[in-house]
Amino acid sequence: MPESKTDSVRLTIDGIPVTVPKGTLVIEAARRVGVMIPHFCYHPKLKPDANCRMCLVEVEKMPKLQTSCSTVATEGMAVRTATTVVNDAHKSVLEFILANHPLDCPVCDQGGRCDLQDFSHQYTATASRFVETKRIFQKEYFSPLIETQMNRCVQCLRCVRYCDEVMDVKALAPAGRGTMTEIKTFGTHELDCEFCGGCVQICPVGAITSRLSMYEYRPWMLKRADTVCQFCGDGCQITVQTKDNELIEVNSEYGAGRNSGDLCARGFFGFRATGHPDRLTKPLIRRNGALVETTWEEALEYTAQQIARIKNAHGAQAFGGLISGRCTNEELYLFQKFMRLAIGTNNLDSSARYGHMNGVQAMRRVQGTHRWTLSFEEIVQADVLLLVGTNVTETNPITGLKVKEAVKKRQARLFTIESIRPAIGTISNITNLVDQHVCALPTQFGGAVLALLKAVVESRLVDQRLQHESPDYVGAVTQALERLSWPELEAATGAARDTFVQMATGLAQGRRVVVLAGQELLRSAGGYGSCLLLLDLLLLTGKLTEPGCGFAPLAEENNDQGAVESGAVAELLPGGLDLANPEARARIARAWKADLPLAAGATLVEMIDRARSGLVKGMLIVGENPVGSLPTVVGAKEALQRLEFLVCQELFLTETASLAHVVLPAASSLEKAGTFTNQEGHVQAVRPAVDPIGESRPDWEILSALSVLLGTPLEYGDAKELLKEIRGVIPGYGLLGPAPIPPKVDRAAVERYLAGDYRRALAARYTLAGPADAAGGTTHLGLFQSLFHSGKLSTRSKGLLQIEAQAALRINPADAARLALADGDRVRLSNRRGEVTTTVKVLERVPEGSAWFPDHFGQDTAKLFECAIDPDTNVPAFRTASVSIAKIS
Amino acid sequence: MSAIEHMPTYEPVLLKNMSQPGYTGSLPDYEKTGGYRALRNILGKVAPADVTQLVIKSGLRGRGGAGFPTGVKWGFLPKDYQGPRYLCCNADESEPGTFKDRQLIERDPHQILEGIVLACYAIGAESAYIYIRGEFVLGAKILEQAIGDARAAGYIGKNILGTGVHADVWVHRGAGAYICGEETALLESLEGKRGLPRVKPPFPATHGLYNKPTVVNNVETLANLPHIINRGPEWFAAIGSPPKSTGTRIFCVSGHVKRPGNYEVPMGITFRELIYEHAGGMRGDKAIKAFIPGGASAPFLTPDHLDVKMDFESVAAAGSMLGSGGVTVMEEGTSMVWAALRLMEFFYHESCGKCSPCREGSSWLVQTMRRIVAKRGRAQDLETLSDLCKNIAGRTVCAFGDAEVSPIMSTLKHWRHEYLALIHEAEAAHLLRPEPAAKRH
Ligand SMILES: Cc1cc2nc3c(=O)[nH]c(=O)nc-3n(C[C@H](O)[C@H](O)[C@H](O)COP(=O)(O)O)c2cc1C
Ligand code: SF4
Ligand code: SF4
Ligand code: SF4
Ligand code: SF4
Ligand code: FES
Repeated sequence: MPESKTDSVRLTIDGIPVTVPKGTLVIEAARRVGVMIPHFCYHPKLKPDANCRMCLVEVEKMPKLQTSCSTVATEGMAVRTATTVVNDAHKSVLEFILANHPLDCPVCDQGGRCDLQDFSHQYTATASRFVETKRIFQKEYFSPLIETQMNRCVQCLRCVRYCDEVMDVKALAPAGRGTMTEIKTFGTHELDCEFCGGCVQICPVGAITSRLSMYEYRPWMLKRADTVCQFCGDGCQITVQTKDNELIEVNSEYGAGRNSGDLCARGFFGFRATGHPDRLTKPLIRRNGALVETTWEEALEYTAQQIARIKNAHGAQAFGGLISGRCTNEELYLFQKFMRLAIGTNNLDSSARYGHMNGVQAMRRVQGTHRWTLSFEEIVQADVLLLVGTNVTETNPITGLKVKEAVKKRQARLFTIESIRPAIGTISNITNLVDQHVCALPTQFGGAVLALLKAVVESRLVDQRLQHESPDYVGAVTQALERLSWPELEAATGAARDTFVQMATGLAQGRRVVVLAGQELLRSAGGYGSCLLLLDLLLLTGKLTEPGCGFAPLAEENNDQGAVESGAVAELLPGGLDLANPEARARIARAWKADLPLAAGATLVEMIDRARSGLVKGMLIVGENPVGSLPTVVGAKEALQRLEFLVCQELFLTETASLAHVVLPAASSLEKAGTFTNQEGHVQAVRPAVDPIGESRPDWEILSALSVLLGTPLEYGDAKELLKEIRGVIPGYGLLGPAPIPPKVDRAAVERYLAGDYRRALAARYTLAGPADAAGGTTHLGLFQSLFHSGKLSTRSKGLLQIEAQAALRINPADAARLALADGDRVRLSNRRGEVTTTVKVLERVPEGSAWFPDHFGQDTAKLFECAIDPDTNVPAFRTASVSIAKIS
Repeated sequence: MSAIEHMPTYEPVLLKNMSQPGYTGSLPDYEKTGGYRALRNILGKVAPADVTQLVIKSGLRGRGGAGFPTGVKWGFLPKDYQGPRYLCCNADESEPGTFKDRQLIERDPHQILEGIVLACYAIGAESAYIYIRGEFVLGAKILEQAIGDARAAGYIGKNILGTGVHADVWVHRGAGAYICGEETALLESLEGKRGLPRVKPPFPATHGLYNKPTVVNNVETLANLPHIINRGPEWFAAIGSPPKSTGTRIFCVSGHVKRPGNYEVPMGITFRELIYEHAGGMRGDKAIKAFIPGGASAPFLTPDHLDVKMDFESVAAAGSMLGSGGVTVMEEGTSMVWAALRLMEFFYHESCGKCSPCREGSSWLVQTMRRIVAKRGRAQDLETLSDLCKNIAGRTVCAFGDAEVSPIMSTLKHWRHEYLALIHEAEAAHLLRPEPAAKRH
């Protein structure tokens, strides 16, 4: 935006004129002209606290020196940063700060990248005048992952402020007075928090450090690789530091990536998962029923031979493929090309099918895009936010930070429909920040959106223009809503009509309205319909096409969005093109100079079903684990056991891989190059930080080698060459700029929808879901994603396991009291489908009558769940069940 | 001839009621003396802005330490702000040598409460908090009782005396930190946070309690309000040293005097009069060596300053400040270095630790002072001391930094020879000891 006269000010820094936006702090204005004012407590992410007094400057007409970190630049201000007076002040403040500092730089992990060292080097004399006794804090145990060394602390409170202002966790607090002030955990227990590592990263000195790499390195020995986190769809940029091909630490620089330096526990502490001793290092082949090590030659040749045999004997449709949304775009692209050309089938799918496809298909249908029409910036700048089924602080923590920033720093109004109760806990809880909250079961998220829609219609909040231009659509929706009564909506959602009216009014009044849908909604039965309802909501309130407004379904895997855009789902071709569309097929065929298979492909569960019935006889599974992920009723294990041939490309011997005939060791994303596309549609570079472990190879290399052996060579020199081809097929794909350029809503698609497409299954989605599950039991059991895990990879991270090592069933304190349960007690969960035993953990945020079980440890509970397949999107929904809980004494 | 007979008499204003025999400070007692009359005459009858004008006209200045004109401070509140505003009565009184607010609270609580409601009315606040020093257990109890009585009588709470004006008052007890008397630390503490001063600007007038426009006034400041209303700003402005130092002040005299205690006198009498007439002169009729004119934060003055007038400007011109009104007197024979150390120990203990110069400086200063007093000082210590003081003053988050250096800076200025004597003794003793091996290279 151009700065007009009124919203900018002119000032001089050491005589250099500079124009800055109104409200800019002097320290930032100075930075603009290349003047770095020394500072400790200032950080652009935090509110000024001006406690260290390091950044003093002279400001003309002000009698005293001013702290440049808290002084706002004003018109005509003349600032001096290097006069004798200022230099003396800087020296004296440093002299004070150094007075009690232990100067143990030789054994400090911060040494070499420490602000105190750097400023001392710049300002202070070599001899200290301090001859008194230094203050000493006794060493205290802090936590398994984070270490404090309070003698080094400069009391800048950045850590405390970060944990409060940015994270909203408030785990840290200063204790004691004066020089005896030290940073402690808020209560008298070891640190129990989100373990985002933010305090470690933001500490300007070595007072808070990571224990994972304590004393293992000197910063200048480290080799860095800037790459992207592999743990969720937020797509944080990380800097991986290695020494002698070993992972030492992960951090992220302020201003870098979409996360601007913020990370979550998975990103900061989860990095060593890929170096786990269980990693597969050699190809395995099944001999006499057992998997034994073999050579790449044999493994690949045998695989190619088996694929060819099945294809010859039963046709290409007897083969299917699955790939993980953890792979790079290049791999996902090559995988679908391999399946479609080298094998000749559209039987292919990816982990995007677990839920992400619900959001994608809803966006495609209503707004004609397969990605968000907004980016993180719009979340931060929103004035009204609606979150539905996100559990965002655990599933997509950095998106959560954007929401927190919008609410805490910019006073956005937050509405939530979540199965979470507001409660103070050791990790942040987004419902603590709400304006209005509906605490509904995941099975009733759709019902809550219906209530919201009804409130919009009844409170006459429908956009005038829409009313005028699309009376049929508005009429049909209104009519459908009339069939729902408030008593039944209130009973289903547990919230009063007034709450919905408040929300509806807020949404209609909002100028920048952003709706986030999370995995709890996307993975629930009717998830697709609920996404459509949310889009209806944006349409009806006239927001969908407004700038700054939009719908944003959150991606679970780091590259689910890339999987969709690379065409690694049965129904879509690269670029989100429709396989059923002849023009689209022709375009891809031209680019590939080959014909595409015609038959519609089978999706995830269909493939499993076909394997069971014998229609599918061979499968290629890349990094995906259907046996471990799908509920027992789907029968994935039995189905895959019936296959004549199963080949898996894997990091670890998962439940699925252990059924394979051949297992090919794959390189992790820390060991290869490529790109990931985050949920915003931002394509980012993945760079190798270490060499592939053992003989493991990148998945694209494996696929390429197989294609050659199959006689359909898909050969590429490196990942870059693949990206080049992708750019040919999807023009401009992944130009790797600093921020995504979101597509605009496709008005033609909206018109098509309003003109009649909305009618398709309207009645079904405008119906209240019945009681979820009749499996018997009074407790609503839900699988949820824990902040500290994201699947098989994280459960092999030593760091993350130190925070959360075991599955525990989260239950509400009232339920715990009723059942006489305390943390660690064992319970039996049962319903008609089976029973399992587990331990409990009492957590205030769990609603009464609900119980949460962490997804990544979910294998045990898999037998308790039913699986419903969405008729439109084929997404399997299986994350909720009703169970009884009984204490085992 | 006793001193008492000689003592000039002034009409007390704030201490008047309680000096009447049998006065208990109860609501009926207070009402009998004309209590809550100001409130009846003002609420709903005089526009709030006019009340502020009255106070500006009276010349009343804050009694908490900084002496800021009270009405002017009120005028800084945003005029068009729609949300809530707050009044905080600062009853944290922790400045060493200051004990006037305590007497006002314990002996005549309704005088303060009436002042609070008047101030609330003037600034448009419907809630007021009395932040009282934690150790004032009795004071807090008395205030709670008085608030209860006043609420029952309709002087406090919703729709006061049927005027439609709301003003409720709550007591909040501190937890033993001197810094919570600093107005922004007080607000943090009231909000339930750690009592650390805030960076100013923004000032409480715009971003105070819960980020809302807020006025913080001292107990004594507020207690003056009913009298200004009842007797008119002209009456008040004629007392003391107009135009800049109007009204009376309660000076708390302590130290080596015959009659330590609170004395309410018009501003502008001399220290000599206060010490020798009101406080009865020096204990044992010894010579006076030094006095602190306005609480521990005020630089020490010497007998040469005894004829300085006790008003804001004159004391400032003499190089100190009237501060909180605590006058601590020291007799001949007092070690000034020791006295400075005593106060430094206090400041070291009370530094909140938020900002580097004060946090680190206070521990450095106190340790150096301890060494000097323990006869382990070194010649270069004096330069370091004054350097450190200069490097703290004016560079801290709150005025505590300026306060903590005043005992050392002023004693170094007036009694440097006492420091030197201690250091010479130390050096003489040191010469007898062999030099440590490590230092010889
Ligand atoms: C370190 C420090 C301690 C203070 N302690 C008190 C106190 O105990 N009582 C008080 O009324 N003011 C105290 N003040 C002054 C307050 O910050 C504030 O100026 C005063 O309460 C305003 O009221 P007034 O304008 O009525 O004087 C202190 C100031 C500082 C810097
Ligand atoms: S690691 Fe824990 S204490 Fe540190 S900032 Fe994150 S949540 Fe707060
Ligand atoms: S631990 Fe680090 S960030 Fe926290 S107050 Fe100390 S120096 Fe600052
Ligand atoms: S898991 Fe997600 S939020 Fe956490 S660091 Fe990785 S990408 Fe960022
Ligand atoms: S000057 Fe002292 S008391 Fe005031 S904020 Fe700084 S450390 Fe705290
Ligand atoms: S950086 Fe400005 S005071 Fe700390």
